[in-house]
Amino acid sequence: MAASDKVQELHVYEMNERDRGSPAYLRLSQKPVNSLGDIVPFSNKIYRGDLEKRIGITAGMCILIEHKPELKGDRYEAIFSFYFGDYGHIAVQGPYLTYQDSYLAITGGSGIFEGVSGQVKLHQIVFPFKIFYTFYLKGIGELPEELLCKPVDPHPAVEAAPAAKACEPHAAIANFTN
Amino acid sequence: MASTTSLKPIPSINLPSQSHRALASNFSYSKPFPFHGLNLSSVTETSSFTSSRSSNPFTTTAFFFNKFKQEAAPHTPKPTKVQELHVYEMNERDRSSPAVLKLSQKPVNSLGDLVPFTNKLYSGDLQKRVGITAGLCVLIQHVPEKKGDRYEAIYSFYFGDYGHLSVQGPYLTYEDSYLAVTGGSGIFEGAYGQVKLHQIVFPMKLYYTFYLKGIGDLPAELLGKPVPPSPAVEPSAAAKATEPHGSIPNFTN
Repeated sequence: MAASDKVQELHVYEMNERDRGSPAYLRLSQKPVNSLGDIVPFSNKIYRGDLEKRIGITAGMCILIEHKPELKGDRYEAIFSFYFGDYGHIAVQGPYLTYQDSYLAITGGSGIFEGVSGQVKLHQIVFPFKIFYTFYLKGIGELPEELLCKPVDPHPAVEAAPAAKACEPHAAIANFTN
Repeated sequence: MASTTSLKPIPSINLPSQSHRALASNFSYSKPFPFHGLNLSSVTETSSFTSSRSSNPFTTTAFFFNKFKQEAAPHTPKPTKVQELHVYEMNERDRSSPAVLKLSQKPVNSLGDLVPFTNKLYSGDLQKRVGITAGLCVLIQHVPEKKGDRYEAIYSFYFGDYGHLSVQGPYLTYEDSYLAVTGGSGIFEGAYGQVKLHQIVFPMKLYYTFYLKGIGDLPAELLGKPVPPSPAVEPSAAAKATEPHGSIPNFTN
């Protein structure tokens, strides 16, 4: 494989700990059922895939596209970023389906992620509080050791390590985004 | 729709003197670089480019070349050309912008508030009107200790007949930030990289430095010597008046 195609995997847990006022469900459609017109800004915490380090936050919005009654869920178009403290950020766009996994496009990044391309797999564990992401990153240098880990397998009871939750210095990256 | 817009009287925020989060420039990685890894040093063709690492798609020949060089010295792969583009975004209060939609329905800036906006865009030397910005800021959180806010910004820069650049990333009203260049059209088709946002006067004057990759040489018209940002900067009279010599062809309006 040519170096330019080198793919690096990065694992991240997104957790809604209900302390960021998120999500903000804007029922602009003014309809009783989720409908096109509803917009959902959100921001949650993100942890390294082994749940031992607090990394930062997600920030962005979901645009409700369609309610899927037969699947008891919704399709959103999601546009948001993952913030990795001093390392920079990764911007993504794509489908968020509340009833199944999906792949979003990586549209770009900054800092160590400047020039990044690829896709990210979204795996929902507990809607809408726990999501596990696997990034397939191309076009950037070697990821720092600190971000790489053996991920914890996603299951409903996963929780961030207490030290990471408390953002203790050894359990958080430098200037983690908050 | 003037009724939906209000330029809230915003207290002038004391911005830290050009400080910004130090990103890649100050990193030291603990892992030595394998020969096929990508370099960290800013290998670019622009003198003032310090804040970003260049990512280098390797050609096959470069791959083998580096294999030979492995023992000789830390390898310096062929750099991806980075072009700097400087622009000024000015809110001249004549585009009904921004439209602060307090959808959170809370008195303080809160998640849920949305801010569509569009401002005028001038070349970095402030001699030519090039077009406009257009897009959306999503309020993420109010940051009381910084007396400001974090937004997630998703918008484009329009350059008339030349095309446009799209960006996504953080807009912090209290400090500089880097946004991702997500793509472009026209001469910017295939563009990638990042852009530094520097706020001069919140929220009326912003100065951007694009670090663009993946495109051909930018036209001279867009590459005039930039005016260093300061609170009193103003576009030239001809640019403001969009006279023919003070604007690019079919500047976006």
